[in-house]
Amino acid sequence: MRIPSPRAFRRARTPDVPLEVRLEVPPVAESPGPEVIAWARGLVKVYGSGQTAVRALDGVDVDFGRAEMTAIMGPSGSGKSTLMHCMAGLDSVTSGNVTVDGEVVSRMRERALTTLRRTRLGFVFQAFNLVPTLTAEENITLPLDIARRPVDREYFDSVVDAVGLRDRLGHRPSELSGGQQQRVACARALVARPAVVFADEPTGNLDSRSSAEVLGFLRHSVDELGQSVVMVTHDPTAASYAHRVLFLADGRLVGELRSPTPAKILAALGQLTGATTKAGPATEADADTAGPGSERVAGTGS
Amino acid sequence: MLRVALRGIRAHSVQFALSVLAVLLGVSFVAGTFSLRAMLSDTFGAIISTTVQGDAYLRGAEESASAPQIGQERGSRTRIPLGLAETVRSVDGVSLALPELGGPIVLVGADGTAVANGQAPSFGTGLDPRDPGATVVAGRLPAAAGEVALESATAQTSGLAVGDETKAVIAGVVTPVVVVGEVDLGAPSAGATLVFIDPATAQELYAPDGLVSSIVVYADEGVSEKDLVTSLSSALTAAGADVGPAGAQAVTGDQARAEATASVNDVLGFIGTFLLVFAGISLFVGAFIIANTFAMSVRQRQREFALLRAVGASPRQVFVSVIAQAAVVGLVGSALGLLAGIGLVAVLRAVLARMGMDLSGGIPIEPETVAISIATGTVVSIVAAAVPARRAAVIPPVEAMRDDVATEDRSLRVRAAAGSVSLVGGILAVFLATDDRVTSAGTWLGVGAAATLVGILLLAPAMVRVALAILAGPFVAMFRPLGRLARGNVTRNPRRTANTASALLVGMALVGATTVLAATAQASTRTIVESESTADFIVQSATRDVPPDAVAAITALGSVGRADVMSFAAAQVSGPDHSQPTGTTLAGITDGAFGATLDVVVIEGSVADLPGGVAVQRSTADAQGWAVGDILTVTTDTMTVELPVRAVIDSRILPAPLVLPASTLAELVPDVQRSINAVLVNAADGVDEETLRGDLTAAVAPFVVLSVQTNEELATSLADQVDRILVILYALLGLSIVIAVLGIVNTLALAVIERTREIGLLRAVGLGRVQLAGTITIESVLTALFGTVVGVTVGVALASALPFVFDDVGLSTLAVPWPQVIGMVVLAVVVGILAALWPGARAARLPVLQAIAQE
Repeated sequence: MRIPSPRAFRRARTPDVPLEVRLEVPPVAESPGPEVIAWARGLVKVYGSGQTAVRALDGVDVDFGRAEMTAIMGPSGSGKSTLMHCMAGLDSVTSGNVTVDGEVVSRMRERALTTLRRTRLGFVFQAFNLVPTLTAEENITLPLDIARRPVDREYFDSVVDAVGLRDRLGHRPSELSGGQQQRVACARALVARPAVVFADEPTGNLDSRSSAEVLGFLRHSVDELGQSVVMVTHDPTAASYAHRVLFLADGRLVGELRSPTPAKILAALGQLTGATTKAGPATEADADTAGPGSERVAGTGS
Repeated sequence: MLRVALRGIRAHSVQFALSVLAVLLGVSFVAGTFSLRAMLSDTFGAIISTTVQGDAYLRGAEESASAPQIGQERGSRTRIPLGLAETVRSVDGVSLALPELGGPIVLVGADGTAVANGQAPSFGTGLDPRDPGATVVAGRLPAAAGEVALESATAQTSGLAVGDETKAVIAGVVTPVVVVGEVDLGAPSAGATLVFIDPATAQELYAPDGLVSSIVVYADEGVSEKDLVTSLSSALTAAGADVGPAGAQAVTGDQARAEATASVNDVLGFIGTFLLVFAGISLFVGAFIIANTFAMSVRQRQREFALLRAVGASPRQVFVSVIAQAAVVGLVGSALGLLAGIGLVAVLRAVLARMGMDLSGGIPIEPETVAISIATGTVVSIVAAAVPARRAAVIPPVEAMRDDVATEDRSLRVRAAAGSVSLVGGILAVFLATDDRVTSAGTWLGVGAAATLVGILLLAPAMVRVALAILAGPFVAMFRPLGRLARGNVTRNPRRTANTASALLVGMALVGATTVLAATAQASTRTIVESESTADFIVQSATRDVPPDAVAAITALGSVGRADVMSFAAAQVSGPDHSQPTGTTLAGITDGAFGATLDVVVIEGSVADLPGGVAVQRSTADAQGWAVGDILTVTTDTMTVELPVRAVIDSRILPAPLVLPASTLAELVPDVQRSINAVLVNAADGVDEETLRGDLTAAVAPFVVLSVQTNEELATSLADQVDRILVILYALLGLSIVIAVLGIVNTLALAVIERTREIGLLRAVGLGRVQLAGTITIESVLTALFGTVVGVTVGVALASALPFVFDDVGLSTLAVPWPQVIGMVVLAVVVGILAALWPGARAARLPVLQAIAQE
């Protein structure tokens, strides 16, 4: 596969650039259908206790589509990383329900979570993605090796070719560029055919060219291989590769965009920042009155 | 800056705790050694001041010809007539003059066996009622033959009380005795068995020829020691007793005490040096841990140092702050080590007291001990931290501000080159040592071994990759993917792995060498005994001396065909060129023993016509250039004879350069100065071995300490002795292995902290807790294996040179005890697993998310 250049990508998908976007949170079903690979209901995550308690997630109801790339955006401290960590079983939830590929993650013990992570989930982090002592190939097959599952050579080859790392397989991470390292991480996340790939700022440390390669590859895995991807990012260009962008503010889901473009995303973010400065941080009272799915971003009507 | 340094210690207390522990262990050994020495010195000081109480002593005017006789104090000077006591009693200022009558004794305790505390000696002493040194605490002093009094501690160990009847072998004579009293000497006995008999019996048994080693003189009130000696000396001259073979001289009590103290300190100095070697090893090993801790903590805190640099700290200040931390670690570790060392000695003292060896009451804490311990620990810490501190100081602020910590891989080339030079030099020196033509081979071997070890230590980082690629093979194949992860971890920083393993490497090299040395000694002894002794039975004594009465009893047995006596004495010998005589040991062998009970290799001449001549050991003959036909001049205290060399032999069972017929030796050396080491017995015709054994055992039973053994049994019992010494060595070396384990724990714990993010990543992609702990365990085992395999290889290889170097002192048969060597490798695996327990658990407990999110 040839990785599409970012320009080609954008040209194909951005005929109209509205300056005002309507952000709303569509209602979610009680029990989602097969088109949803992962979901959360009433997800609350509180760090600390008493006076110093921080509600990082404040009653989030969200669906992530199967064979879809979903981006999670929001200002710093909005809870976007926490949401991803809770979805991926990396962090425990205070209350609420998280289900991934039919498994109730929020009720799992550590051992089950470990198994879930190595068999059903793929991860791409911002940095420190690779084990420095292993070669690129060994890093890619690491989750399979850990799970003692055989490597599907054919699929491995197709993934490796897709990320364009064929001639780099024997190299150590220190011998690879930042972009190559992230592509190895993507290949690792995909090679075990996980139900969902979680990517936390996968391009946070990359230049625009490398970013485009990595994002193009993630999108390709969704379009061509039917992979489901959830990505946290603060970069509108990165988010524009997704099918759908979710916006978080103060621990709550405040809107979503389908078929986003960088311009639309920027506009939405602009409204969000404006809104949050006006409304101030969320309080307990707000959380109580906010019915799930019924909320609109303040000022979206104007 | 100092505050920053101290806060740093508090913030990273876990890492520093392990360094403190390493210093503690090393220093406790140093402090323990010194305070043990001080305690022993006090004990023997007390013994000397209570037993050497005289104001003046009369003793032989000359050093005895038998002076070099190892391990036997008596006869270090010529002996004097005991009648001199009578002569000087009338001298002005003399209140009392008593001949010192003493010698070996075997006391049979309440349980029917000989009373003995390990290797501590047994002394029988004639106690004159006028002697002011002893206080009777129970009963009375012995007044007639067959009566004995016991020193308090001896009474306790023996289980005998006043009124009990038992037996004693006094100067080789079995005597039924009754305990009539208990005597307190006012000083600890240090384990020695002390028995007192009446002076008349003592004179009869211990001075049959009327000669004694010394006479103690007490002065009248108000007479100074100096004046007393002056009047004694003139009295001796007047009596003409100051010249001749039995000439006497007078010395002050102070001088006698000073000489006794000096000779005790010589022995204690040797023990101290021996223990200090092990203390040095443990500190050396501990230094690796300290260096590693600081290297890793400096790496981790690079940003902290960069920040300090950025806000204006000079490199010098950063350097000093790291060194200050090392000094604190060193001081705290040393202080605790000092306490631990004193505790160690207290425990040792309690154990010895339980075994019947009472030592001085308190453990003296001398200022020197404190100073040396604290200084050693602190200096070692500071020196070990100097290199990491320098690295911390020269970090450019920008460099360390970067996101990921740069892995600076300084070139190992210089270190490897130095290591190669040292290694090659060391090996050459060892080869040189194995060459027969080289003098002082032992020194060459020692220097060569040290250089080889240092070379290996320097080369270790360069060996890590290759060595671990091989060692890790089975693990990589067996534990996928854990083995590969572990291999990556141990090879990613070769310097660190090598430093961590070095501690174990040194310990294991020593253990390996010791094991081979012991096995070689055992195998050599066995070969010697079995090839050179053709006797059916060998009779020996636990006190080394076989009493002449016992020899007589054996010879008298009808079932005995031959009973050949092997006796030893010291003399001065000079060659045919009448050069300066040298002290040497003479072995006396019953005529006709060669070919009957002994079978030695004869290089030249013949041992058949030995009477009237001597046989010379090959090593001596080679060194002196003596050959068959040469005339040797042999001088003893009593006479000088000229003897022709009749044969050059090569024998290890006769540990003496010159071998004479027993009859000749008996003429040359008086009975008391000659010791019978063994009796070789052959059965009479038609007597089977079991009958002979029964007869022999019955014949020697009254002498309590004699054993009857076949060659096979003798070899085994000698091997057991080696094993017993080995246990002590292993215990001492065990300490360095304990420190080495701490080093691995330390490195792993720090590595876990350093790799927190990577661990988080692995956990995120599905590595289970057990798998993570498994990875760390394999890593630990690999490090331990590396140290052990390299260490054991070096140790075994170096020790294998021993038989080539020390062939002439009886180490002739190389034996590598493979089961023990394999055992050490297994031990390494166990050590690795143990060392990984805590760091592994720590890593497994890291919350995944926190690990990922960690800065």
